[in-house]
Amino acid sequence: MIKYTVRRLLQAIPVMFGITLVCFMLMHLQPGNPADRFAQNARVTTAQIDAFKHRWGLDDPLWMQYLKWTGVWGDKGVVNALPGGSVDIAGLHVDLPGGDNGMLHGDLGYSITDGRLVVDVIADRFPPTVVLAGTAFLIWITLAFLAGVYAAVKRYGLFDSFLTIFNYIGYSLPTFWVGLVLITLFTAEPFRWFPASGMWDARSVPVFGSAEYWAFVGADPLYALTDLARHLALPVATLVMVSIAGDSRFIRSSMLDSLNQDYVKTARAKGVSERRVVFRHALRNAMLPVITNLGLEIPIIFAGAVATETVFSWPGMGRQFVEAVNHADYPVLMGVLLISSVIVVLANLLADIMYAVVDPRVKYD
Amino acid sequence: MDPRIEEVELSGKGGPPADYEVALVSLNQWQLAWRRFKKHRLALFGAILFLGVVAIAVVGPVFLPYDPQYVPSFTSQFCDGSQTLKAYSGCPPFSAGHILGTTGSLRLDLLVLVVNGARVSLIIGVGAALVATIIGTIVGGVAGYFGGIVDNLLMRFVDVLLSIPLLFVVIWMSKVIGNGDWRVLLLVFSILGWPGEARLVRSLFLTLRTEVFVDAARAVGVSDLRIIFRHILPNAVSPIIVSTTLAVAAFIITEAFVSFLGFGVDPAVTPTWGNILTGGQDFIGQGNWWWTLFPGLAIVITVLGINFMGDGLRDALDPRSRD
Repeated sequence: MIKYTVRRLLQAIPVMFGITLVCFMLMHLQPGNPADRFAQNARVTTAQIDAFKHRWGLDDPLWMQYLKWTGVWGDKGVVNALPGGSVDIAGLHVDLPGGDNGMLHGDLGYSITDGRLVVDVIADRFPPTVVLAGTAFLIWITLAFLAGVYAAVKRYGLFDSFLTIFNYIGYSLPTFWVGLVLITLFTAEPFRWFPASGMWDARSVPVFGSAEYWAFVGADPLYALTDLARHLALPVATLVMVSIAGDSRFIRSSMLDSLNQDYVKTARAKGVSERRVVFRHALRNAMLPVITNLGLEIPIIFAGAVATETVFSWPGMGRQFVEAVNHADYPVLMGVLLISSVIVVLANLLADIMYAVVDPRVKYD
Repeated sequence: MDPRIEEVELSGKGGPPADYEVALVSLNQWQLAWRRFKKHRLALFGAILFLGVVAIAVVGPVFLPYDPQYVPSFTSQFCDGSQTLKAYSGCPPFSAGHILGTTGSLRLDLLVLVVNGARVSLIIGVGAALVATIIGTIVGGVAGYFGGIVDNLLMRFVDVLLSIPLLFVVIWMSKVIGNGDWRVLLLVFSILGWPGEARLVRSLFLTLRTEVFVDAARAVGVSDLRIIFRHILPNAVSPIIVSTTLAVAAFIITEAFVSFLGFGVDPAVTPTWGNILTGGQDFIGQGNWWWTLFPGLAIVITVLGINFMGDGLRDALDPRSRD
């Protein structure tokens, strides 16, 4: 088991390397470079521009820029490749993360918009995305399971037909538009039930994630929770509506496959109760493909999060990305892209390992 | 009775009337598929929906009174004599000759926008899906047919591209190299959309290349290129058609979102269903629901039609499904 996990982890390394390479190439597709902004300024001399380029490594050849960005190449050459603190390990000097040491040192550079560390910016924006996507995911996967299994058991029944039509429609809805429609319906008269944007009520609640916020939660947990729930309602409903379709359809067909297997027939023939046949014999086997599929769904969750977060002004990674694109904030862009790609790779890995865990037929080596 | 055999009545003109004469006509793969497709009511409905939208996109603008950039001049700041509805936030459907109402701010006619927007939305959806399929088929076909190191390298590259959330890259690329021209957006979608197709085609080729007819072709000295395109590809074409159909739907939705964000097609040059929606959100609070509703409905109807069609094609093109 451990051997299998380690091997899969090692296989993920070239993919991650490829991701950094693709991200780097994407960044260099943009026309011009950061020094171009001085071109029109008569008071900036060529020598100053050269100094600027030198400071930020813009005069380096492209391959060296890449190595520096990844952190393989530091001030003292390749030695900096070792991540860690500013200590001498066996005579090798290693720098602390911070500034422009490269991402192997946990350093993604500074945001151009507000000068903060990209790592900090992402650390601020990550929890809201997890709250939103996580809540939505739990709800839709539960509903999809209930609906999918029930529809498969009562095949061609009224509910099954209803679910089929519902799924077709849900599958055809653009996420951002569903958000807009929900805003139209439930944030204006006559049903002014939910706030149209944001994650907390700015008038009464401190900024999410700050020390004051947690103090506020400690003082009045009920109010904080209701406030969060009210803001979550519409974005979560949006994500659930568009995402439930694919999953319930998948679970239904997986369950149908499973119900047609010989072991289910055998169980029925032996006189096992229908409830036990469905839940013990069929459902457990129907879970296998579903679990693999969940890992592959992570990119879709991200895509859905971008749309919902933008429409509902939710302060998460997706909206951060769109803002960064708007401001041409390349370090942040690269950071969000890298982190979300790494999450996708890890999720696929997790799905593979989970599959090996739950399916005794899968050989580990 | 075997569905491949069709009964044809022969009306003998010259000879004595036969009580019942039967000729056997065999149908090829495509005729069979068409028969199954026709019987699939939902698929037929979807095809009609989609073709209807295409027809409206092609001829619709001819019948409409003005082009989408035309800003109607309002004589009054109120809609249709009503003293409460300000024209600034858009006039509701059926007011002052605007069947779907007008947008807020610029007060453009929504019907004209939606009908004209259909053109580019459809072109991008269909075009990007086709180009992505062609690239994906070539890459996946080469990887699956040759296997070994070629397969390994190409598929690791596909793994990388599939790991990066596509929507992020699409948004970014549209901003970086996009200039509001729909052709550039089409290009961006085409270059980024193929990895999924490549993976599908590769898996099809992996199983097909071990078939006996491929061995036979190779034994008589058929070239690799010819085996790929003449012997294997025709056998893999059904799943590819289905996935292309569904990709059209996905690209239409993606285009809508990217243009909605303002990184796609420039609304001042070409309307698309996505960029019509830009700005609509600000007017929801002022009671303008039609601006958001109608362009979105156009997307949903089209995508629904395509998805119905894709499902019908999946059943119709599957040679194992016999009715």
